[in-house]
Amino acid sequence: MENSLGKSINFIRTSEKAEHQVTHHHKIGHKHGEGSAIDFYAYASKLRCWNPTFKVVFSFLTLLLCIGLNNPFVSIAVIIGMAYLTVLKGGLSLAAYISVLMIPITFIIMGTIAIGVDFSSQPIGQFNLFLGFGYLFTSVDKLQEMAFLMLKVFGAISAMIMMTLSTPSSEIIGVLRKAHVPKLIIELMNLIYRYIFILMDVFNNMRNSADSRQGYCDFKTSCTTFGSVASNLLVVSLKKANAYYTAMEARGYEGDLIFLEDEKKMPMRHLVIGAAFIIFLIILGIMTH
Amino acid sequence: MREPILKVNNLHYSYGNGNPALDGISVDIYKGEKIAVIGSNGSGKSTFFLNANGVLKADHGEISYQGTVINKKNLRELRKNIGIVFQEADNQIIASTVMAEVGFGPMNLKLPKEEVIERVEEALSYMNILDFKDRPPHYLSGGEKKRVTIADVIAMKSEVIIFDEPTAALDPLNAQMLEEVLVKLGEEGKTMLISTHDVDFAYRWAERAIVFDQGKIIADGTPLDIFKNTGILEQANLKRPAMLDVYEMLVEKKMVADTKDYPTSPQDLKVLLEKQFKFA
Repeated sequence: MENSLGKSINFIRTSEKAEHQVTHHHKIGHKHGEGSAIDFYAYASKLRCWNPTFKVVFSFLTLLLCIGLNNPFVSIAVIIGMAYLTVLKGGLSLAAYISVLMIPITFIIMGTIAIGVDFSSQPIGQFNLFLGFGYLFTSVDKLQEMAFLMLKVFGAISAMIMMTLSTPSSEIIGVLRKAHVPKLIIELMNLIYRYIFILMDVFNNMRNSADSRQGYCDFKTSCTTFGSVASNLLVVSLKKANAYYTAMEARGYEGDLIFLEDEKKMPMRHLVIGAAFIIFLIILGIMTH
Repeated sequence: MREPILKVNNLHYSYGNGNPALDGISVDIYKGEKIAVIGSNGSGKSTFFLNANGVLKADHGEISYQGTVINKKNLRELRKNIGIVFQEADNQIIASTVMAEVGFGPMNLKLPKEEVIERVEEALSYMNILDFKDRPPHYLSGGEKKRVTIADVIAMKSEVIIFDEPTAALDPLNAQMLEEVLVKLGEEGKTMLISTHDVDFAYRWAERAIVFDQGKIIADGTPLDIFKNTGILEQANLKRPAMLDVYEMLVEKKMVADTKDYPTSPQDLKVLLEKQFKFA
């Protein structure tokens, strides 16, 4: 009883932290800790119990269709479908979903503006804007191309994000292992994923302890402190690597890193609905060609 | 004469810097013993544990498990039967879900998958953390991580379990949980070695205490004998357990009769007092 209570409190705390991170992000523009927020959403998602292979294959097919069919209607269908899956089926709050999407959206807008709008010394094009030293110009065709490209990229990204927001990294690595990605890469991915969190923990502790001793009081000190923390982090990670190797050996590690993987059921229903969605996309693509 | 489960004979080990970390350790450990390994920091306890598990290779000396001398070929057998719960859980947890973590040892034993799953579930329910199965370790608290590391070793079904300072960094509630687990494991006949700085815990839990000082074993006996020996306590920089002091004070002031039945916990003392004062 105590156990489950403690656990739920802990989970609430973690989600508060995640929530806090999100609100924080609106202010500073997604710079720190977004990775761990995504990781947390993946564990909290209601789609987590779905078969990971299905999710990975499904989102990849969607991604390929979205790019391959090159059709704005397909793109819109993908965007709506993936948002439906992530937010309504997965139980992620809309604010959190949009917050995660904000990073790619920024890149998409910045990237596509360069395609839609051009610069010239003469007043050409359907619309132009005089800037004093030249003209920004564009046309309806160009703007349409820009909007379609945006939709396409956005659809492709939302398919990938559906996967990352519903499948923890360890399960994605498991799918890659089944797809016969070389063992070395799989082992590295597993270890790196685990150690990112340890490294962040150690770094946070060091930074806090430096901060409490006025290590970040001005710019010059901050630079020195950052250097010291980074070099200390290297020494600590070497030591930790040793400690881990010892612990792994103590449990019979003999050169092969093999983990137990949970087999998740693949209900027929998912397969049918997934296939139906894919076929729907193809038909939609052909019909509106 | 019983055959020791683990026999360590004249073990020498030194790290790269040349100073001996272990300097001629000889000890026999019998099945089902509950041993507290005490000694100051750097006295060689952890080095001894890693040697006993075969992770570190001794410079001299030999280790035998159930009568078989351990060499390179049967090292696997030693690791399988002697499990270590490391002091820092974060230095032990390697996988990114609790289930994969607890399954890591059994997977290395090359067991069939069904058995691995069975053992994992058994170990998780033993530690009362079955709900954490799919959780990643980075969303667990310190006490929960400790439980996972103990489940790691339980899943390997080791005969001998070594705990390296398990109570360090645990809050009182988790420390109590740990002690309950230790009692439960003891009832199942597991042999346990625990290194600790908590003399009160060593006094109430252990049947046998081994004192390390500068790479040597300076005392080996019942906790009572060791804690009554001022010479050893001074040499190893140890404190006396509070219950021992209390009892001796009560005896000295003639508050209780000296029955030689030393209470190791406040509950024991209460029983003793009730017994002695029932007829008064």
